[in-house]
Amino acid sequence: MPVTRTILHVDMDAFFTSVEQRDQPELRGKPVVVGAPPDKRGVVAAASYEARKFGVHSAMPSRTAYRLCPQATFLRGDHAKYSRESERVMAILRQFTPLVEQVSVDEAYLDVTASLRLLGTGEQIAREIKRRIHETTRLTASVGVASNKFLAKLASDMRKPDGLMTITDTDKLDVLRPLPIGRIAGIGKKTEPMFHDLGIHTIGDLQQFPIKTLRARFGVWADEIKARALGEDDQPVEPYSEVKSISNETTFEEDVSEMRTLERAVRELADEVGRRLRAEGVRARTVQLKLRWSDFTTLTRRATLLEATDDEGRVAEVAIQLMQVELKEPRPVRLVGVGGQNLLRSPRQLELLDRSSNRRDELNRAADEVRARFGAKKLRRGGEL
Amino acid sequence: MKITVSKDQMLEALQQVQTVVSTRTTLPILSNVLLRATGETLELTTTDLDVGIQRKISADIAKPGATSLPARRLFGIFRELPAGEAEIEVDDKNIASIRCGSSFFKIMGLPAEEFPPLPKFDGGKHFKIAQASLRDMFRKTSYAISNDETRYVLNGAFMQFKADKLTMVATDGRRLALVEQDLEFPKANEVEGILPTKAVNELMHLLGDKGEVHAIVTENQMAFEMQVSAVPAATATQPEKGKEEKPKSDSPNLMIVSKLIEGNYPNYRQVIPSECKERVTLERESLLTALRRASLLCTEKSNSVKLQFSKNNLAVIAKSPDVGEARESLAINYKGKDVAVAFNPEYMMDPLRNLDSDEVHLELIDELSPGVIKVNAPFLYVLMPMRMS
Repeated sequence: MPVTRTILHVDMDAFFTSVEQRDQPELRGKPVVVGAPPDKRGVVAAASYEARKFGVHSAMPSRTAYRLCPQATFLRGDHAKYSRESERVMAILRQFTPLVEQVSVDEAYLDVTASLRLLGTGEQIAREIKRRIHETTRLTASVGVASNKFLAKLASDMRKPDGLMTITDTDKLDVLRPLPIGRIAGIGKKTEPMFHDLGIHTIGDLQQFPIKTLRARFGVWADEIKARALGEDDQPVEPYSEVKSISNETTFEEDVSEMRTLERAVRELADEVGRRLRAEGVRARTVQLKLRWSDFTTLTRRATLLEATDDEGRVAEVAIQLMQVELKEPRPVRLVGVGGQNLLRSPRQLELLDRSSNRRDELNRAADEVRARFGAKKLRRGGEL
Repeated sequence: MKITVSKDQMLEALQQVQTVVSTRTTLPILSNVLLRATGETLELTTTDLDVGIQRKISADIAKPGATSLPARRLFGIFRELPAGEAEIEVDDKNIASIRCGSSFFKIMGLPAEEFPPLPKFDGGKHFKIAQASLRDMFRKTSYAISNDETRYVLNGAFMQFKADKLTMVATDGRRLALVEQDLEFPKANEVEGILPTKAVNELMHLLGDKGEVHAIVTENQMAFEMQVSAVPAATATQPEKGKEEKPKSDSPNLMIVSKLIEGNYPNYRQVIPSECKERVTLERESLLTALRRASLLCTEKSNSVKLQFSKNNLAVIAKSPDVGEARESLAINYKGKDVAVAFNPEYMMDPLRNLDSDEVHLELIDELSPGVIKVNAPFLYVLMPMRMS
């Protein structure tokens, strides 16, 4: 690499719950959980720092969270509001460089290498970003500064909340050494024991470990994890991450076996899939249906269309057909999901004879605009009322 | 049945009729060609129950009769036989012996009575049109026929005999090609039908440059009778009994019959724009070349070209995010507003490839309305654009 890059990882602190605590002062300093209600099925989307002290974390079933921290305030959350706040934060980040890669609603990487001469050191830029975010949104962010994405993300996580941490190339090996290997992206619950078998527990162990033995065990992946252990990562910050698939799923409060209810759920899920397909300017060639039974076994079924679509009606129609095949005998369903894959970016061929499909397209687009302005719940199809 | 035929004539006839024989059929008899020998004529018939072809060739008939033999296999045999004459003799068990020079073949047939008869055309309406004209009409429209089986009424060419004209239309729902030909017939003969793709393709192959074709139309069938020029019977041996081959006047020696597609053809008139905002005349060849070059940068995922009209210039642009970009500039005579419209390049090239005029006129309204290609002849092509993102 010719120039040392300067990468920032900006991570909003307990984003959803912080937004709620900002807007509802009575919740400040108290445990707050955004996600499914504690008496219902579903999971925690975010937990405030106060709730985290009790062991509550995101993706945990809400019921478990309630058992750990019954005094917490459980909120459904207002995702439209979080998106708006997220957009304000991302707009601030783009003032510093166009190279902003948004990874999720509350997290982004910035490549500020080219901004350094103008705006000062990475740490100065990070401090200014934190200041402007707080000034505009009254929310705090933690920022990591390093020469690559892997280290920057590690750094942002080290001084949370409201943290600022730099990992320089001189001290990166020392910083990494004591960390558990699970901190390397890609090493998770399933792969960790394989490293333990080799006597590797910390990143330090991995730094020392002979690459040949690693290769024998993990193939080409060995070089990547070894590089990470040494604090190396040349992945670029990519402002436009191309969407590969768009999906949406829901867990029922109680298992559902009635076809009509399932069909309605599929239609609602498809609405969102259609809207997001259009927002991305893509059309799906493949429609996927996901079903999870009461015993948690999960199946997915796919159908490839003759004509790619971004129409929720078409997505729902195909998903329902797939579901009917799987549910010839009624069977309780815990979760249902609908997705579009095999996405095409080409412009849409308009119809000459079937002008109604062009009108449906116009209608979908108009509906998207209404929803964007007035919220998703303002516009419904006749059948949903 | 016992006959002698010229190898070349028999080969040509088999070549013409075997194309409708389906390779996978549940009815074994449909794999066969019906051979019927009467007078001085051998009649070869094949069918897939939708489309049938019958060809007549002259033969030396020692013993009239009929049988049916496996079409592909018989074709294969005649392709490999030495030039000259071949003798076909069929016994009462439908076993055929074929002798030609030093070759001998014995193949199993099926009784002629099992072969499904071709439909009758009693009471049909008759039309006469030059073979070359009909072929030209198919050529200018057939590419627009839909092959989406769920839209079966579009799986053929719509033929309408009305108001002293034959109008032929093909569409796949995104584009539509229409061609007209003046034709004289009594008003009582006005009729219309949808001729399936398979019959259209057979006709395009078989229609020649000369002579007329005789179309007979009934409620649900169409037949085409014509004379195709037969290859001369190259006899290896001396003509027997001083008999010489002479073409029998202009009586038809080939007939194609086809079922018509049931259902109503869409009201195509209503999708043809009645007016336009901009009209531009383009050189057909240059436009075709520009499109062909630009479309090199199209991919399955990004299959559109943008036509950008500005003062005296047309830019043809193709862009694919992962591949790159192509831009072709054409000097044109254009004084209208700046317009940009995107089309599927294949849809745009199809008519340009099949027309023969030097110039085409392109008529546009806006980027979401159908464009129309016209020539100085009764032809038009309506094409829906692609929505630019």
